[in-house]
Amino acid sequence: MRKKFGEFLYRHKQLEGILYVLPFASLWAAFLAWPVGYGIYISLFDWNPMRGSKFVGLANYVQLFHEARFWNAVGNTFEFAGITIPLILGFGFIFALMVWGWGRTRHGATAVQAILFSPYLLTVSIVAIVWKWLLDRDFGLVQHTLGSLIPSAPVFLTSTAWALPAIAFGTAWWLAGYRMVVLQAGLEEIPQELFEAARIDGARQLQQFSHIILPLIKPSLLFALVLTVISAFRTFGQVLLMTDGGPGTSTEVLALYMYRIGFDYFQVGKAAAAGVILLVMILLLTLLGVKLLGLKSELQ
Amino acid sequence: MRKHWKLGIIIVSLVLLVGLQALAAAPIKITFNTLFHEADAQAMEQIINDFNSTHTDVQVELTQGGWTDYYAQLRLSVIAGNPPQIGICHANKLVEMSDYLTPLDASPVGNIIDMAKLTPDNYVAANWKAGELNGHHYLVPLDTHGWGIWYNKDIFKKAGLDPENPPKTLEEFINACDKIKAAGYYAFHPGEDAAPRKLRRAWYVFFWQMGGQLFDADYTHATFNNPKGLLALQFLVDIFNDFGWDKPGSNGYDQFAAGKLGMLIAGNWYYGTAQGSGVNWAYMEMPSFFGTPYTWGNSHQIVIPVQPKGTSKDVYLAAAEVIKYISEHSHTWTMYGGHITAYKPEAQNPELLASDYWTKSGKWLNQMAQDGLVHFPINNPKGSELEQAIQAQIELAVNGNISAQEALNKAEEDCNKILQGQ
Repeated sequence: MRKKFGEFLYRHKQLEGILYVLPFASLWAAFLAWPVGYGIYISLFDWNPMRGSKFVGLANYVQLFHEARFWNAVGNTFEFAGITIPLILGFGFIFALMVWGWGRTRHGATAVQAILFSPYLLTVSIVAIVWKWLLDRDFGLVQHTLGSLIPSAPVFLTSTAWALPAIAFGTAWWLAGYRMVVLQAGLEEIPQELFEAARIDGARQLQQFSHIILPLIKPSLLFALVLTVISAFRTFGQVLLMTDGGPGTSTEVLALYMYRIGFDYFQVGKAAAAGVILLVMILLLTLLGVKLLGLKSELQ
Repeated sequence: MRKHWKLGIIIVSLVLLVGLQALAAAPIKITFNTLFHEADAQAMEQIINDFNSTHTDVQVELTQGGWTDYYAQLRLSVIAGNPPQIGICHANKLVEMSDYLTPLDASPVGNIIDMAKLTPDNYVAANWKAGELNGHHYLVPLDTHGWGIWYNKDIFKKAGLDPENPPKTLEEFINACDKIKAAGYYAFHPGEDAAPRKLRRAWYVFFWQMGGQLFDADYTHATFNNPKGLLALQFLVDIFNDFGWDKPGSNGYDQFAAGKLGMLIAGNWYYGTAQGSGVNWAYMEMPSFFGTPYTWGNSHQIVIPVQPKGTSKDVYLAAAEVIKYISEHSHTWTMYGGHITAYKPEAQNPELLASDYWTKSGKWLNQMAQDGLVHFPINNPKGSELEQAIQAQIELAVNGNISAQEALNKAEEDCNKILQGQ
C-alpha cells in the first residue's frame, strides 16, 4: 500500500508539493481567502440578514464615491501614509546602518538592537495609550516639556494640523524597530569583499552606500516597504484610541471610517465596499513599489 | 455466559438511568452578556453571584466588557445564531436594535412579561415606556444614569464661595466660575474627559434647557441651527476659550481628581474615582443654566436577544426569572454600580438609603430622575450616525478651528443629508 502510494506520488510529482502546502493553504483559505471573498460578495448587497439582504450591485461603491466623508478619510489615509512610511523606513534604515556598522567595530550592538526593537513588542493599544499620555494637554510629558520651551507650541491631539503627524510619529516609534531588523538582515547579506574592493579602488563611504548598499539591499527594502505600506493604510487602533478620528474628522482614516459605518451604523455592505477599496489601494501601491524598485528579477 | 449478559444489561441500564437523571437535574444555563466594565460590572457580578448561589435550577454565565463594540457584537451573535439569553440595551438604542431583540409581550413562547409576573407598575413609568416600540414591549428597565456636577469644596472655600450652597442659576454659576478662576484653579469642565461625544452631550444639556429640539418629530430634518442652538454652543465654546474656565482638550476627570478643577460635569460612574482621589468633594444637581434644569442621561435596560428557532420555553422563562431577580435586587446595582435603580421598591431599600453613595450623590441624581429632568438622547435608527455628525463639528468649534455658527451650519447640513439618505 505504502509502496503504491509512493509510486503514485512519483508519477504525479506536482501532487507532492500540493500536499506540503495543504495544511497552511486550508487555514489560509478558511480564515483569509474566504472572508475576503465573502466581503467582496456582501459589498454588493444592502446586507441585513434579519430582514433579508437586497442585491444592490455597485450602489454601495457609488454611494461612497459621493460622500465627502469618504474622500476625507481617503485623504487622511494618504496623508498618514505619506508621513509615516518615510518615518518608519527612514528610522528603520538609520537604526539598521547604526547597528550594522557598530556591530563590526564595537561591542554592545545586540543590546542597542534589543532596545531599538523593543517598542515593536508592545500591542497597538499600549502604544496608543502611552503616546496619548505623553501628548496629554494637562499632564503629558512631551506636551509639558515642549510647552515650557516654546510657549506657542501646538497642542498636538486637539490640533487639526498636528494630530495626524503626531499619531504618525508614535506609529514610527512603534514599528521602526522591526524594519531595522529586516534591513539589517539585508545588510548582513552583502559580501564584505565588495566593500574591501571598493575601498582599494578609493571609493568613499557615500559612494559605497549608493553603489553597493542601496542596490543590494533592494529585496529587503521591498519587503520592509510592502509591510509598511500595508500597515500604514490599515492603521486603525492608534487613531481610534488617540483621537477617535478627531478633532472633527481630521484624523478619520479609511479603516476607522469603515469600522464606524460597519460597527457603529451597521451598514455592513457599505463598510465591505470601503474594505474592498482599501484592499485595491494597498494592492496597487504594493505593485507600484515593486515596479519603482525594479525588482522583477529578484522576485522571480 | 447468559448470566454475564444479563448482568451487563442491568449495569448499562443503571448507567443510562443515572445519566438521564443527571441530565434532567442539570440546571438551565443562561448566558448574560453586558457592556459594563467598571464599578457597575462588579455590582452586576455580585448580583449574579448571589443568584447563582441561591438557585439550583438556573445558572447564569456572566460575560462583561467594553461598550464601544457591544451593539455590533450583540447583532452579530444573533445573526450567527449564538446570542446570549440576556443582554443590555440603552433605552435610546431600541429603534436601532429592535430587529435583534425578542418582543417580550409576543415572544415565540408567549407573553414573557405575564408568564414571569413582571409588574410594570413597579418600574419608573418613563423607563418602562421607553421599552415600547410599534405596539410591542422589548425592554425591562434596570436604571437611570446621568450627569450632575461634582465640585471641590476646598477650592470653593479658597475662592470665597460657600460649599454648602453651590450655584443654582446662570448668574450665580458665572460668578462662582470667575471666583474659582481668580483663585488660580480651572473653574469648570462641562464634559468629563472632553471626548467628542461628551462635548456633544454638554451642548445638548444647554440646548435642552432652553427648550431646544434637535430634530423635528418625524426626523425629516435638523432643527438645532437656530439662536438657541447657537447660544448653547457659543456658551460651550466660551467655557474653553473666552471665559478661560478651562482649556480645549483638557481631561476634566484627571483635573478634578488632581484637585485642580472647581466644578466638573460627569456621570454617576465618577463616584469611585472621586472617592479615591482624596478630593474633598460634593455633588449637586444640574443648575438652571438656561431654563429648565435638564441634564443628560440614559437608561440601561435588560433584553432577551432574538433566540435561535426551537429555543425551549424553559430557557425563555429562566431568562425572565434572572431578569426579575436582578430587578428585585437592584439596590446593589445602585449602591455599588452608581446607576439609579428603575425598580421602585428597591429605591426604598434601607441599606441603599443609608449608604455613602446615596447620601453623597445618588439621591440628587435620583431627584433629577424623579423630577423628569434626566433627558434621554435621540432615538432614531440613524442615531449613531447623526450624533457622530454633530459631535465632529462641536469638537472643532470648541477647539477654535471653526466658529460656533459654522459648526451648526455644517452639522445641520450633514444631519439633513443623513436623514434624507443622501
